[in-house]
Amino acid sequence: MRVVILCSSLYSETSCAMAVRLAQLGYVPTGAVTLPTLDLRTLMRKLGQWGVHEIVRYARTKLISHNSSDAQLRNPYLQQLLKHKTGSVRSLREVAACYSFPIVTCRNQNAPDSIAQLNEWSPDVIVFTGGNILQEPLLRAPRLGVLNLHLGLLPEIRGMSSPEWSLLNDVPVGVTVHYIDVGIDTGPILRRCEFPDAAQCVSLDDLRNRLIAFGIEKVGEVVAAVDRGRILAEPQPELDEDNQYFVMHERLQAQAALRLKQGHGAAAAARSHG
Amino acid sequence: MSLANQHVQPALTHSRPGLNADATVSRVAKALSEAAGLLRAPQRVFPLAGRLASDALRVTFEQRHLYSYTTTKRATGDALKSVLGWILDAQRPDGGIAAFYSLLSGYSESYPEVTGYIVPTLYDLSHSTHDEDATLAAERATRWLLSLQMPSGAFPAGLHRNRPQPSVFNTGQVLQGLVRAYKETNRSEIREAAIAAGDWLVDAQQTDGSWSGPGAYQGVAHTYYGMVAWALAELSAAAGKDRRDKDRRDNDRYGLAAERNLDWVLLHFRSSGWIDGINLRGHPSYLHFIAYVLQGVLECAVLRKREDAVQAVAKSARVLLRKFEINKFLPGAYEPDFKGSRKFACLTGNAQMSCVWLRLFEVSHDLRYLNAAMKMNEMLKQLLPAQGGRGTVGGVSGSYPVWGAYQPLRYISWGCKFFADALMLEQNLMLRFEASACAS
Repeated sequence: MRVVILCSSLYSETSCAMAVRLAQLGYVPTGAVTLPTLDLRTLMRKLGQWGVHEIVRYARTKLISHNSSDAQLRNPYLQQLLKHKTGSVRSLREVAACYSFPIVTCRNQNAPDSIAQLNEWSPDVIVFTGGNILQEPLLRAPRLGVLNLHLGLLPEIRGMSSPEWSLLNDVPVGVTVHYIDVGIDTGPILRRCEFPDAAQCVSLDDLRNRLIAFGIEKVGEVVAAVDRGRILAEPQPELDEDNQYFVMHERLQAQAALRLKQGHGAAAAARSHG
Repeated sequence: MSLANQHVQPALTHSRPGLNADATVSRVAKALSEAAGLLRAPQRVFPLAGRLASDALRVTFEQRHLYSYTTTKRATGDALKSVLGWILDAQRPDGGIAAFYSLLSGYSESYPEVTGYIVPTLYDLSHSTHDEDATLAAERATRWLLSLQMPSGAFPAGLHRNRPQPSVFNTGQVLQGLVRAYKETNRSEIREAAIAAGDWLVDAQQTDGSWSGPGAYQGVAHTYYGMVAWALAELSAAAGKDRRDKDRRDNDRYGLAAERNLDWVLLHFRSSGWIDGINLRGHPSYLHFIAYVLQGVLECAVLRKREDAVQAVAKSARVLLRKFEINKFLPGAYEPDFKGSRKFACLTGNAQMSCVWLRLFEVSHDLRYLNAAMKMNEMLKQLLPAQGGRGTVGGVSGSYPVWGAYQPLRYISWGCKFFADALMLEQNLMLRFEASACAS
């Protein structure tokens, strides 16, 4: 099966780990399409998300440090996938060199040149690990569809800050692997998995990192199942109300963290199991 | 309220052709007369230049996007004290609150409408900040309002200097203040004034539940008069406390009038969430007026236990919430179905939407409303001048950037009122939410 990866940056740990995991399972990417790392808009967005201190730390680790063993991963739970002879993999280029697949950089994944490249690769499945909000022409490029890993259970929690909203709304924490359609997290579901280790998480960052590692495993399983024809995508039910969530304010995040400490994630999971 | 609208005499503007041309001439004349204020007090050029420069810089470099939101280190209590300071400074010697402080011409005269509905805010601020001056200001404002009431029970339109003409909207807004002042003081003359205002409003109401004719702006009915329905519902609730249950049902003329208007306004809600019937000829549909409809209908619905109206408001409020969350910005004015992309923000409308979202959180417990309101309040706090002279420090400008189309180059008292309301509501709800989280 031909798999292509869409990435937000060459230095995205999630993208690197996803590529490695797929390759380990025998699905070496046919190619990867990534956004430019030094794009001003991306940089400003990351500044908003991470803050100056974290950006500087990240840049030092990824761009300046030539000794891979010095590199600290933002997500330590990806260490297993990203470990290398001399330390950790620092960029998708290293993964691509290791498994011999091409990388194409574009300013917008929906742009005609990006679509043309995808059509040339004629993928069966595209795995989305970050980048633009995808539009119809790109969604039509793969034979089967574009897969997304969503860090929440669909259809209950759509949109952003999903782990945090799950905690505050007493919905079990989990991940969903689904096909992307033109809506936000509204596409057919391939697999929905509750996360069993929420009670062990010490912080929201820890929870998010563990969910990403957990989700990468699930995406790998789904790709293999799709390849073997052992999985069917189920359309999401029509909902009475809009279930889209947006970035959570820091004071509410503090409440979500409190719930995590109080074990609400585990409690919600227990409740859902009856 | 848009002062530019209210001072125009409805009888003159209702049927004349060339209304827009007249309105434009009137606006230009007003702008020139306001600009002349700079000649009388040239020192005002410094704060004016400072604000223009700071907004220009902010607009150039700010980054708003889906993934982030504005934050400020300014504490809510500090912002509230600052806004209260602005309102107290804006109180004129007669006891009324000025409509605005213009960066060109300074303070305006006292404005009955805003003085009326700022009274509840002053009492709330007094309780929140423990500043006795807020209570004294509310009492002075109430005394001034009582002196303005017309023999019919109505309150006049426009600024105090204008020839008094009864106004439905202003009477409703003043009624808000009178009802609250009565609750706080239990003084019979305030109760009687409130009842007289309520009676006048009920008598002036059309059979379909709207208010049109000479007491209505431009002579036509407006959906944003839902604010008047809210005031009547408040009066009904306050008056009802003194009556037995059966009397309450038989004599609830204020509550029934409020619901008649509520039903009329609800007919104007589209399936897209857009609300028709704002009906301001010569003016765009500013967010301020859209939010008036939503606030008026929501508060009236809560008081009258009308779930259908709450749901209608929630639908419109969610459309605006989504727009705000995606862009971290709400345009100051809209075309029907919330189309349009004006480049300025109407800060009063933003503060009102924060109030609407917070109240919807209170009734629905949907945390997304609280989340959006907190981000909105953060943005508004950041735009609140922390330094400057009287009239600017602690003031909420009509537009952001300050030269935007809604009340340009002015800090407006009703903007401060709604922002203070939003901050106090957030403070209370967040305290309750955090306490309940700790308890669980």
